[in-house]
Amino acid sequence: MNSAVITPNENIGPHESYLSAGWNWRSWLLTLDHKRIGILYVISITLLFGIGGAAAAMIRLDLLTPHSQLVSVETYNKLFTMHGVIMVWFFLIPSIPATLGNFLIPLMVGARDLAFPRLNLLSWYLFIFGGLFTIYALVSGGVDMGWTMYAPYSTSFSTSHVFAVATGVFIAGFSSILTGLNFIVTIHEMRAPGMTWFRLPLFIWAMYATSLILVLATPVLAMTLMLMGIERTFGIGVFDPAMGGDPLLFQHLFWFYSHPAVYIMVVPAMGVASEIISCFCRNPVFGYRFMAYAILAIAAFGFVVWGHHMFVSGQSAYAGTVFSLLTFLVSVPSAIKVFNWTATLYKAHISFQAPMLYALGFVGLFTIGGLTGLFLASLGLDVQLHDTYFVVAHFHYIMVGAAVMAFFGGIHFWWPKITGRMYPEGWARFCAILTFIGFNLTFFPQFILGYLGMPRRYPDYPPEFQVWNVLSSAGSSLLAFGYVLPLAYLLWSLKYGARAPANPWGAKGLEWQTDSPPPSENFHTTPIVTEEAYAYSQAESPHA
Amino acid sequence: MTKHAETRPMVYILVWLALMVLLALTVGSAFMPLGRAHTPVNLAISVTQAALVMLFSMHLSAAHPLLRVIALIGFFGIAIMITLSLFDVLTR
Amino acid sequence: MHNNAVAGIAPQFDDAVQQRTAANLGIWLFLATEILFFGVLFAAYAITRVRFPDAFAAASRLTNLPLAGVNTAVLITSSLSMALGVHAARHGARRALIGWLSLTVALGIAFLAIKAVEYRIDYLEHLVPKLDFRYEGSQADQVELFFYMYFFITGVHALHVLIGVGCIATIAVMASHDKFSPAYYTPVDVTGLYWHLVDVIWLFVFPILYLVSRS
Repeated sequence: MNSAVITPNENIGPHESYLSAGWNWRSWLLTLDHKRIGILYVISITLLFGIGGAAAAMIRLDLLTPHSQLVSVETYNKLFTMHGVIMVWFFLIPSIPATLGNFLIPLMVGARDLAFPRLNLLSWYLFIFGGLFTIYALVSGGVDMGWTMYAPYSTSFSTSHVFAVATGVFIAGFSSILTGLNFIVTIHEMRAPGMTWFRLPLFIWAMYATSLILVLATPVLAMTLMLMGIERTFGIGVFDPAMGGDPLLFQHLFWFYSHPAVYIMVVPAMGVASEIISCFCRNPVFGYRFMAYAILAIAAFGFVVWGHHMFVSGQSAYAGTVFSLLTFLVSVPSAIKVFNWTATLYKAHISFQAPMLYALGFVGLFTIGGLTGLFLASLGLDVQLHDTYFVVAHFHYIMVGAAVMAFFGGIHFWWPKITGRMYPEGWARFCAILTFIGFNLTFFPQFILGYLGMPRRYPDYPPEFQVWNVLSSAGSSLLAFGYVLPLAYLLWSLKYGARAPANPWGAKGLEWQTDSPPPSENFHTTPIVTEEAYAYSQAESPHA
Repeated sequence: MTKHAETRPMVYILVWLALMVLLALTVGSAFMPLGRAHTPVNLAISVTQAALVMLFSMHLSAAHPLLRVIALIGFFGIAIMITLSLFDVLTR
Repeated sequence: MHNNAVAGIAPQFDDAVQQRTAANLGIWLFLATEILFFGVLFAAYAITRVRFPDAFAAASRLTNLPLAGVNTAVLITSSLSMALGVHAARHGARRALIGWLSLTVALGIAFLAIKAVEYRIDYLEHLVPKLDFRYEGSQADQVELFFYMYFFITGVHALHVLIGVGCIATIAVMASHDKFSPAYYTPVDVTGLYWHLVDVIWLFVFPILYLVSRS
């Protein structure tokens, strides 16, 4: 890469950067710098992750015994609802896009900022505003209709703060839409000279596809929530069977958004994994073009499979068959990606720094999650497995095992770039392994529980299920450590970590061609791209 | 992509005229005994009207292909939403 | 470095062409979200109508076709005045621009006024679900559902008209303060696109609500 910018070991040590450019409230809360907005998001979602995690901890504590009275049944319903609402909409959906995406996209394409910096700041404020509504609902007694908010319970029978939560998610949805819009325009219009589409890092392809889903699917959620909220408020609507309405209509509209939403959660993780794996293998990602096309195919196919959430809802068996077939098809591009990550490892010079441990964990856990998705896509099997812990395990393997591991991997990988500091490698590797073990101990028993027939969303269960529940709860305590310890050592590193050079990993990518942390304008001069993506040679090795 | 070829004002006026004629057509056809063809006829007229507005008033005729894809993708999404959901409703 | 401040180009862009292209792409993406936003209403309506074709046909006959027909003509005409306004902006014809924008605002307000009259007539005819609904026929519940969707869809659309009127009025004020030139009239262009989409949406709303069964 023609980087008439800096050489890798210059400018270590305190220097002017986006972090030193102003330290009062206004410079942060009114910033237009995508890097600072990324940090605002990191802080916000970490707080919300803590709340969602606390709900999970309560659930796992309650499930230690078959007939626990730790919390009342009503409270239990509220716990799993708030866990889902917060984790899906206020942690996972923004996680990689709004933090790493915001920070890295302009850097990776060679731009000075996103296309619309003020819209970017507005996105964050909308996110906070939506979060406040949701937290209001939480502190005034919670909501109990499940994160899926099905009618007619949500519209007619629940006495909890459904409207407040629906409003909070509605507002946060516009945050998503504006972020996606910003990303699409930036990637189309603001690439540096020489940065053609097929020289882009796969992280950018992943963010592009994610942004398409954000822009196209989220409006559907917004209007569906509005229909639900209005029906609840006025006591009349098209979901009400008493009037001849159809509760399944709500499910169709809800899942039309919510299935693509799961790809919003996992596709960015795939992008992160490609960046990390290629760097720590010193290899270009195998089959770059197939990887890019697979990302687009996942996004596209993701829009036509939503009925697989409704196999036993009363949906017609014929529609079920069509959705089942389409769901099998959407697994193909995902599988291609897993094969290609694996092939990238072949005859590679592999090193096992913490980001790589997280990325490898991602690949393995994504594979398990994806394969169990095929179990659920089979109509016959799903009749047995729907609404059991098998489903819970499946989606946690994807959303936590895959997406959160990749998120942590990305935070570690780009931590030197974002903060100018190195994290402590020993602790990071320990936490990666601890998280992997804790995760599997938490969720693998849940596959067994589901297969044995334990329903989800139930606080009580037959005593013969207890051993698996205890294993799961034990695992969740390990997992909690695995998540809290990084918070501690990452914060520690901000003051005491070794100062990072521009390119501590010897990675390819424009973001590594500028200082750590970068100047406010990202590059001292606009880079000109002359290399293909991932132009690694086997001779180099990562420094740190 | 930005400097679309100049659309002369006369084109806008002709589009207006066409839209009014189509409006009269769609209202008029509602009073004719078309039976089950009413809905397809009305929708076809709406689609024609929308196409006229999007191609000429919204300058899609001279726009970069990417913009035309974005313009249509929303309708495509609605089509998927309605088609697959109706397939369920009609085959229960 | 970048002397964008002089040329009126935002610092993240390299030149005016990039800025204009980005704005155009951005607004079209936003319009796509609006299409999908309304799409949910069309889907909910379509599915409910397929399940109760007779009730929806009977209900549709009770809607106010003359007022809605006039409103459609008003909106179509406002689309013309908006297009001519954008054309004027492109040629730096400030007075013409303000004139066409003002006419568009007036037509938009007329649309809302006629809509208000229509709603009032619906109320007097006891067609407002839950609030004041009386229907002496079969499938009264489903007829009430039709009117629920009718008020919901036309209400959300009217809200978009109101927002559009606000934006166009703001643009008109900006124009009177000489903010636009042939080199820079992006806000006019972008508002115009939004207004045309509001028109397009109505062109679908009108027949599916008002023309279900008139013969």
